[in-house]
Amino acid sequence: MNREWYHTAETDELGRDIELARALAVLDPARGDPNYWLRFRGRVLTGASRELARRRMMAQLTVGDVVGSWARTLVPTALLAAVLAGVVLWRAGAPLPVSVEELLVSEIRGETIRVMASPARAAEAVTFAAEAF
Amino acid sequence: MSLNTFEAPTDGELVRRARHGDELAFCTLVERYQRPAYAVALSVTGRHEDAQDAAQESFVAALTRLEECRSPERFGGWLMTIVRNRSKNLVRRESLRATDEVPPGTRSRVPTPDRIAETNELRGLLKKALMDLPEVQRQIVLLHDLEGWKHREIADRLDLPCGTVRSHLHFARKALKTALKSVPGVSEMTRAAP
Repeated sequence: MNREWYHTAETDELGRDIELARALAVLDPARGDPNYWLRFRGRVLTGASRELARRRMMAQLTVGDVVGSWARTLVPTALLAAVLAGVVLWRAGAPLPVSVEELLVSEIRGETIRVMASPARAAEAVTFAAEAF
Repeated sequence: MSLNTFEAPTDGELVRRARHGDELAFCTLVERYQRPAYAVALSVTGRHEDAQDAAQESFVAALTRLEECRSPERFGGWLMTIVRNRSKNLVRRESLRATDEVPPGTRSRVPTPDRIAETNELRGLLKKALMDLPEVQRQIVLLHDLEGWKHREIADRLDLPCGTVRSHLHFARKALKTALKSVPGVSEMTRAAP
């Protein structure tokens, strides 16, 4: 067996250790398969095709396109909302005039606050106190 | 413009074009970095199939995250980081899966059985010796002695000082040669390899 090559440090123009480079060449997947890297690129490009298409589309979009795409959604929605609001108002008819006094009284039921400090009640309280103490 | 003044586009130019979905620019980047990406992936995974998957997935991931590449001129280094991380993730994911490796490079050619056995033996030996090295040394020796990258390029791409790259390369070569020396007949195999 020839072992001399281990001790030589010959290098090529790229500075590679020639003998080691030869040994490592067996790890090159294109060794014996010249189209390997072509297929490799093909698989990468297939995997990247959707992203590339998305980027092309984004690059072609202008400010007008973006505003236009918004408008296409926004304008019909606003129109629909306006029509619905009109229909609701029309069906409700003309509003009746309501006075402020009426509003204040209309929701009050019974006695809301007991008047404990009225003159009649004051007498009761004094009588109670006199009896107690 | 004459042909003499033609220069290959820089990584920065290609990245900027690829950001706008230029397929040719992206393809050029893939062509430029497919071999080192595979070498780095192989240095982490140690298996051809995993290295191939990790390298291919890394290119697609890099395209998806191209805006994160803050220095387009340093695309190569940024890509290698993605390759390393994806390869490590792949190894973690598949650590429980024990698969028999399909040796690459023996599909289309029809060598003699002896030659196949020799090549497979050398490949297995090299992979074992490589996996015994620290990861950074594996990357450096593959990028330099397999892919032909210069010390400066490796230092830039792996973000290491040039002297450190030289030092790692020296120790990696020494270890690999020692490992190869232990097997009889390796010399003849490597002479026949190209």
